[in-house]
Amino acid sequence: MKLRHALSQAIYIDQEDGTVLVEDPNLGEGVFRINGEWIRGKLRDADPHMLLFVGGPKLAKPNHSRTSSPNPKARCLPLGSNSNAPGSRSHMELGLEGKRVLITAASRGIGQATAQCFADHGCSVALCARGEKQLEIASQNLKERGVQVFSQSLDVSNGDALKNFISEAGEALGGLDVYVANASAGAGPGEEAWQANFDIDVMGAVRGVEASLPFLADSETASVVFIGSTAAVEFLGAPQAYNAMKAALIAHASDLSQSLAPRGIRVNVVSPGPVFFEGGNWEMIKQTMPQVYERALAQCAIGRMGTPDEVARTVVFLASPAASLITGANLVADGGFTKRTSF
Amino acid sequence: MDFENMNPVKNPKESRSNGLSYQQLLDTDSREVPDVLRMQSSRDLPFVRVPIDRYTSQAFHDLEFEKIWKKVWQFACREEQIPEVGDHQIYDIGKLSILIVRGQDAIIRAFHNTCLHRGRALKDRPGRSLQLQCPFHGWTWNLDGSLKQIPCRWDFDHVKNEKTSLTEIKVGTWGGFVFINPDPNAEAFEDYIGDLPSHFERWPLEERYIAAHVGRIMECNWKVAQEGFMEAYHVASTHPQMLSAIGDANSQYDAWDHFSRAITANMTPSPHLRKKPSEQEQLDAMMGVSLDGKPSMTVPEQRTARQTLGQLSRMQLQGLVPSVQDLSDAELSDSIYYTLFPNFHPWGAYNRITYRFRPLGNSPNQSLMEVFYLAPFRGKRPDPHPFQLLNAHASWTEAPQLGSLAKVFDQDTLNMAAVQKGLHAAGHQEVTFSQYQETKIRHFHSLLDQYVKS
Repeated sequence: MKLRHALSQAIYIDQEDGTVLVEDPNLGEGVFRINGEWIRGKLRDADPHMLLFVGGPKLAKPNHSRTSSPNPKARCLPLGSNSNAPGSRSHMELGLEGKRVLITAASRGIGQATAQCFADHGCSVALCARGEKQLEIASQNLKERGVQVFSQSLDVSNGDALKNFISEAGEALGGLDVYVANASAGAGPGEEAWQANFDIDVMGAVRGVEASLPFLADSETASVVFIGSTAAVEFLGAPQAYNAMKAALIAHASDLSQSLAPRGIRVNVVSPGPVFFEGGNWEMIKQTMPQVYERALAQCAIGRMGTPDEVARTVVFLASPAASLITGANLVADGGFTKRTSF
Repeated sequence: MDFENMNPVKNPKESRSNGLSYQQLLDTDSREVPDVLRMQSSRDLPFVRVPIDRYTSQAFHDLEFEKIWKKVWQFACREEQIPEVGDHQIYDIGKLSILIVRGQDAIIRAFHNTCLHRGRALKDRPGRSLQLQCPFHGWTWNLDGSLKQIPCRWDFDHVKNEKTSLTEIKVGTWGGFVFINPDPNAEAFEDYIGDLPSHFERWPLEERYIAAHVGRIMECNWKVAQEGFMEAYHVASTHPQMLSAIGDANSQYDAWDHFSRAITANMTPSPHLRKKPSEQEQLDAMMGVSLDGKPSMTVPEQRTARQTLGQLSRMQLQGLVPSVQDLSDAELSDSIYYTLFPNFHPWGAYNRITYRFRPLGNSPNQSLMEVFYLAPFRGKRPDPHPFQLLNAHASWTEAPQLGSLAKVFDQDTLNMAAVQKGLHAAGHQEVTFSQYQETKIRHFHSLLDQYVKS
């Protein structure tokens, strides 16, 4: 941050090492700690209030890095953790520490795993879900990771409730850097499914972006991730509303990526293939339609279905400043389930 | 204590800053401005000087406890903190501890938080229970304070049920706030707050919820802390980054019976500046945009920064507040900060802030500052945001629910312990207040004086 003192006209600039450089047009330069202690330079005195304001946020970072998670096994692996051997020059930092993330439908499955992965990278997290009990458990789990959590029980198809939640979340967390539209009505038959997929999958994303825009516009590293599906890019057994509505979502993400790029906001999609977890769709399919399950499994080139954690890491990477060049992409994370060549 | 030594203002001619007055600024509003913002008090206040020992001496601190805290109506909690039967909150002030309880009949009552047996505090923390049972020997009262049960009743033949009700304390409510007064002979709450409710008619605080509630221990007298939030005179020196977008020196100050008000216009440049900033620079200063950062919003042509912020706020409040399009730019931009004697500071319009300051424990050198954000909501009332207490060395930014204002509070806090240090170190006897900009503080001290002398 760089600010001018309106009266003395001195310019205050915060520096990487936590000090503040002060350039006074009349008295020269000086370097100070935030508490006003002079370090070097010709200028020997600075305004403590300005030092605090310009250099202060460094004090305010979540204490994530200083506290270890009470349940280390539950932590998802930080990306690039294999490459930080001594001497490695390409160690990748996601740069997520202190970011503020909002995820819809994050009390189970991919949403929950994604919320945890963000929290493990030092992000404060806002989440919603329909079921209060499961939401409470998910929020508690996040809080135990030592980050700020804001949660609210709501139905994403209720546009007013969603917008209201987002603006409250943004206020509570002091802004938003990432919006993840994860809520989905799931696959189902009939006209009701068309309406439900439209209301939740499509409009949940559309309205969510609209409501988070004022906050994202203030972020230095804003990004949006929609959760799509490989069902939108390759035929999956039967014509379904779910498939077409996910396709609509991918098209909309592409449009948004163009229109929001000038405002520094990236927009991407992660399209998972089959993801297996307890209580998830594929577990249900495995029990009720074993042939369908076996067929899908056989189609996975890596010989297994994905896990929520694997999708979560993909989302977290795309959302992070480390993916600063990527916008308008539909990143398929499916272990080779789809067979087309994406040029 | 020599109160006679406090010099009244000899020359009542009003001192005012150069530049646009607040009333002149209201003339440029894009909407009709409500009458309450047009009101100006005409009150001559004494006390441009008060003795330093009001802030530092144990004797004065003890006097305040006897004459103020035991006698005056004070904000104890929000109604929304005790919504259900049996919900209770504890309000501690000095040596007093007061239990505020929602009864079976939904009526809010307050009691001394003391067991009538051997005096243990009945409740250690807020919660919900259908009876009030002392954890020591189990004496139990109903929620209305009537005695319910004494274990081994045969052993207390001398204790009469009808004379063993909990000692009730007067309760008043306004704007969703619960007030208590420990003095059984206190004047009616309605008489005490006077016209204050009429000032808030357009901005009903009962229709808000606690979106943030953060306290911080301050290493200074409670009056030192609160007086830092009763004027805009400190802005130029303490918050210099705001000057492009704050009409600090041309704020308006008023004082009525038990309450006072300041209005500081935002999105108008400070009269301190030699060069008037552009409309865009004003907006950037308000939004905290770094000199090398990109503006988060652009002021459209033919519009002022003030109108642009007003429009943005109208959009944000759409659906949350009735007739949002009729709200004036002033109500959407300005800081309208009231003080009800002695320590309650609700802000007008849609700024959301309410402050409370009080001594902590029995020391003149330590206090608790609390910030409430009271936000409008739609539909079902959201649960109050949990209280977060920060220690005396914490940064307000450790409470992210406070948003960007936390850094501004840090700037204010930087002065507090240093003021207390300076007051103790003083070689002189009195602090002095300005003729106009410190009106609210002088009004406070004139009331303080009346109470301690009563």
